[in-house]
Amino acid sequence: MRRLYVSTTLVFWLLVLAFWAGSFWLPPAEQSVATAADKVISRTELARHALPDNCWMAIRGAVYDVSAYLPAHPSRPDLVLPWCGKEATDAYDTKTKGRPHSAYADELLAKYRIGALATN
Amino acid sequence: MPNLRWLSIPLLVLASAAGPVYWAFPAGLSPARSLGIVLGWAGCGLLLASLLLMLRETWLSRWLGGLERMYQWHHRVGMAAYVLLLAHPLALAADPWPASPLLAWQTLSPFSQGWPVRLGWLSLLLLMLGLAATFATRIPYRIWRWLHVSLGFGVLVGLWHLLQLGIDEPVLPILALAALFLGWRLLRVDRGLAARPYIVQSAAPVAEGMVEISLRPLAEPIAATAGQFVLVAFFAGPSFRGCGEFHPFTVSSIGADLEIRVGVKALGDCSRRIQGIEPGVLARVHGAFGTFLAERPAEPQLWLAGGIGITPFLALLRAGPVSQLTTLVYLYRTEADAAFLRELRALADSDPQLSLQALATGNEPPEVNDLLPDALKLAGIECYLCGPPGMVAAVRKSLRERGIRLRQIHFENFGFR
Repeated sequence: MRRLYVSTTLVFWLLVLAFWAGSFWLPPAEQSVATAADKVISRTELARHALPDNCWMAIRGAVYDVSAYLPAHPSRPDLVLPWCGKEATDAYDTKTKGRPHSAYADELLAKYRIGALATN
Repeated sequence: MPNLRWLSIPLLVLASAAGPVYWAFPAGLSPARSLGIVLGWAGCGLLLASLLLMLRETWLSRWLGGLERMYQWHHRVGMAAYVLLLAHPLALAADPWPASPLLAWQTLSPFSQGWPVRLGWLSLLLLMLGLAATFATRIPYRIWRWLHVSLGFGVLVGLWHLLQLGIDEPVLPILALAALFLGWRLLRVDRGLAARPYIVQSAAPVAEGMVEISLRPLAEPIAATAGQFVLVAFFAGPSFRGCGEFHPFTVSSIGADLEIRVGVKALGDCSRRIQGIEPGVLARVHGAFGTFLAERPAEPQLWLAGGIGITPFLALLRAGPVSQLTTLVYLYRTEADAAFLRELRALADSDPQLSLQALATGNEPPEVNDLLPDALKLAGIECYLCGPPGMVAAVRKSLRERGIRLRQIHFENFGFR
């Protein structure tokens, strides 16, 4: 049992180290972000996408189609689903006891961007 | 019924791991992310089972096949949970790796993520530290025990990590159960609420570094049978100060007047201090536990005892003559270490079914092959072993080489670290 503990702990730290090193030495992430920032989406259009399998959210002036990501979101659905079809910046910035989402979440979110929210 | 007892722990462990995985089984996610989620929930369930298996209650140990078996599974299940929980963040980080190694590191890193991930890391580090301490058996028991407690904190922080992720539906009941098991262990076992009050009636040295202590109940006594062990904490007497920690000691005698006697060998700081115990010292006794000599079949028997391992056999012999042809092989280092030898010889002389072979082995480990009867004589014999782990392991190996089936070999290690 002691041998199993030592070997698994060692392998764990080596893999953590590999992930850290990989973030420096391997090519940066491809910009697979939908860059159709020129598409302007009205609040009316946004409100039409308020279902779990058709969920758009407006965050910090951009609109994201997060339908595909929702099943992977770690928190329970009733915390997130009410924000479908709405301006959700406040919710995004006050995730846990007033803290915003992480830089990682920002990067993940960018992948789902479909346009900019109309200013009117 | 014995089969049911045998299956009780594996079924419990399986249900603990499968329940949360079933609840949280992801649909429509990538394989790596799904694997990461399943590993986390399975590890969480196994940790809960491991907490249940560290409880020391006589009724629970009867259901689950004995305290020693519970502790073996407590260690195995805890270790399995640790391995799954180590793999959990790695699998989650492996998910974005093909597209973006930077995103993979950000998934894993406690520095680029929020508190939920930091708490996950803290939980893993506490489990890591607690398990490292578990394997460091050379450190003093008192320090070891506190380091081992960090495993309990690791479990609670891990569940807090889930709550911070906004997952409270199955986590709150799991957290309540984990807190219940930890509180139960602390109050009922470590603080002694499950133990009964006793007082030391007498204490007599029986060998070099070994004392036999007679304990009289001050309230309702425990129910013990020969071959069982109890957890005893000794407190203060007129001039003696016990360490107040519960340690396992084998019952060496159960009197008709409800007094019990236990043999204590100086093996650590606490048991060394107990060698100087005196009448009047207050004690708390929890138990009794163990099924070592219970339900013995009618077949002839070979009992093999090493040193302090003689006590369960002595308790049985003191309770009355044996009902099967029995050979007791008693090994000890020197005559000075041979506790109860004179009494054992007298018992063997008065019991025609009992034969005693007493042997001083010196400081070198005995050559067990020379001590055991050949395979022909061992056929159909039930073997009961009690002594130092090294001796028990060597005898078991030797018996197996002589073709003795596992079900004919009975032993207990009496080790609870």
